[in-house]
Amino acid sequence: MSAPTTRTPAPLPEELAAPERTGRRGSALVHRLFVVRELGILAALVLLVVVTVIANPRFLSGQNVRDLLLSAAILTVLAAGQTMVIVTRNVDLSVGSVLGLSAYATGTLLVEAPGTPVVVAVLAGMAVGAVCGLVNGVIVATAGVPSLVVTLGTLYAFRGLVSLWASSADRLQINAADLPAGFKSLGGARLLGVPVLFLVAVAVVLLVGYYLRTFRSGRELYGIGSAPEAARLSGIPVGRRVLTAFVVNGALAGLAGVLYAARFQTLDTTAGTGQELFVVAAAVVGGVAIFGGSGSVYGAALGALLLTTIGTALPQLGLDPFWRDAAVGALILAAIALDRALQLRLAARLRGRNARRDR
Amino acid sequence: MSAPTDRLENGTPTLELRGVNKSFGAIQVLHDVHLKVYPGQVTALVGDNGAGKSTLIKSIAGIHPIDSGEFLFEGRPVTVSGPRDAAALGIEVVYQDLALADNLDVVQNMFLGRERKNGFVLDESSMEQAARDTLAKLSVRTLKSVRQLVSSLSGGQRQTVAIAKAVLWESKLVILDEPTAALGVAQTRQVLDLVRRLADTGHAVVFISHNMVDVFEVADRVAALFLGRMAADVPISQVDRPQVIELITAGRSGDLGIAPADVAAVEV
Repeated sequence: MSAPTTRTPAPLPEELAAPERTGRRGSALVHRLFVVRELGILAALVLLVVVTVIANPRFLSGQNVRDLLLSAAILTVLAAGQTMVIVTRNVDLSVGSVLGLSAYATGTLLVEAPGTPVVVAVLAGMAVGAVCGLVNGVIVATAGVPSLVVTLGTLYAFRGLVSLWASSADRLQINAADLPAGFKSLGGARLLGVPVLFLVAVAVVLLVGYYLRTFRSGRELYGIGSAPEAARLSGIPVGRRVLTAFVVNGALAGLAGVLYAARFQTLDTTAGTGQELFVVAAAVVGGVAIFGGSGSVYGAALGALLLTTIGTALPQLGLDPFWRDAAVGALILAAIALDRALQLRLAARLRGRNARRDR
Repeated sequence: MSAPTDRLENGTPTLELRGVNKSFGAIQVLHDVHLKVYPGQVTALVGDNGAGKSTLIKSIAGIHPIDSGEFLFEGRPVTVSGPRDAAALGIEVVYQDLALADNLDVVQNMFLGRERKNGFVLDESSMEQAARDTLAKLSVRTLKSVRQLVSSLSGGQRQTVAIAKAVLWESKLVILDEPTAALGVAQTRQVLDLVRRLADTGHAVVFISHNMVDVFEVADRVAALFLGRMAADVPISQVDRPQVIELITAGRSGDLGIAPADVAAVEV
């Protein structure tokens, strides 16, 4: 039997050294531009807060900030899940309905069995979401139908399910009075002055961020989104990975449903309506490319925080709430323009360097 | 025509196919295909569009497993029923345009789907080092950084990365699907040098090309497919350019190729 890999010519020392010498610089450049992307959102956020505080010093009062963080918590959890899906070059438009279904299911569970521990209620809500995500993921992965269409369908289907359930159970609304005190206290609970719901969102973001960055299957999600065919030819189980992303996103939307129930404590069948586009907007503003393959969950979380802050800051600046939607729209366009500009600049700089070395 | 004085051909072929058939539904794409690929040699796989080249390499790579026939790897009969089986044997394919993910860097691309782990997490430094070592082994000097995004590379550099990716895996057989298509003159030169170096480092190489200049420059053997049949699989020293072109377009040339009766049968 032949052993073909044994004949290895000794490489010249200078050839060994060449990629090494410039490696660090190139990586630093790429890294810096990614950081710039997230710093940009942070800068916009700080600017907005400063302007609002100048106009209305009470904006940074404890209660106001806590309200802001509470509102941001739900959107952030949704954005973290959505990031995983968008990175694979898919999108999940059904998260608003999943949130509604999960919130209603959790509420019903707590009304029927008031002794249910909070942890069990949270897990139940996440399970409902995960099942919805599984439905989405299975259809997307096996039928080969674009996720945009599939989740547009399930957006209505899940919402219909909530309405059907509510009307057949003759419980169109769940009120605060029906919910057990233990669960309700979760909504207002604080740890060192910070709302617990917001801490939950931070934990979710850190976990998803760590997973995407350091786990093999997380890296493969970026590969799938960047070049689906290359990923398939590289032996990545594309269908299974995409399915997993949808299930995790569903579970996080379920968690967001529980947070919603804990925060608002009054649930009807419209909970979460319209959230899906707001979530996608948060991710895109945060630098998650809608064509997949790039962006980070931290960016998406900052995007969620920024959009929420706009929503609460504009009324304090004396502006009509109508301007919120306009501001969100302008931000999305600005984010896309910024991404494109950074991309072109990066390409130009790298090309410039290549050309210099070639000649 | 010179007598076959080529080296290494009495050794065991890295890959040998005997009587391979492959159909898609009612359409038989590969008929009784025989092929031998030797270590340290470049085998050029030529044939017209639709001759079955892509199907043949996808069969070898496990993407379209063969229907019948023998698949021998280093002399042992093996069954390849998926890309992972092929990769486990040491078969790597460099696909024409589909090989790389733009948003990932060079290292991430080279390890895509087979990332090294340190416990549960990715082992970045070991992957980066291995990528550098592989590029150095192939004497690649055109890349500035192994951490630059593939989207910023030129066509020749991309092809280089794709080939280096294939070599990274202790591969024994590397299949290149038209690696020089769509490249400029200088970049084609770069890639052809790299193909030659692959064989010189002991790999068995299958090189698909439509360009006869490239084929005669780099190949040791030439295998010509004609309408799903292997018209000839011979050392390149036994044929000249007009003969190869005849084999591609007519399925036979002189005493080489498919018997006239069969050609007639095929063409009906």
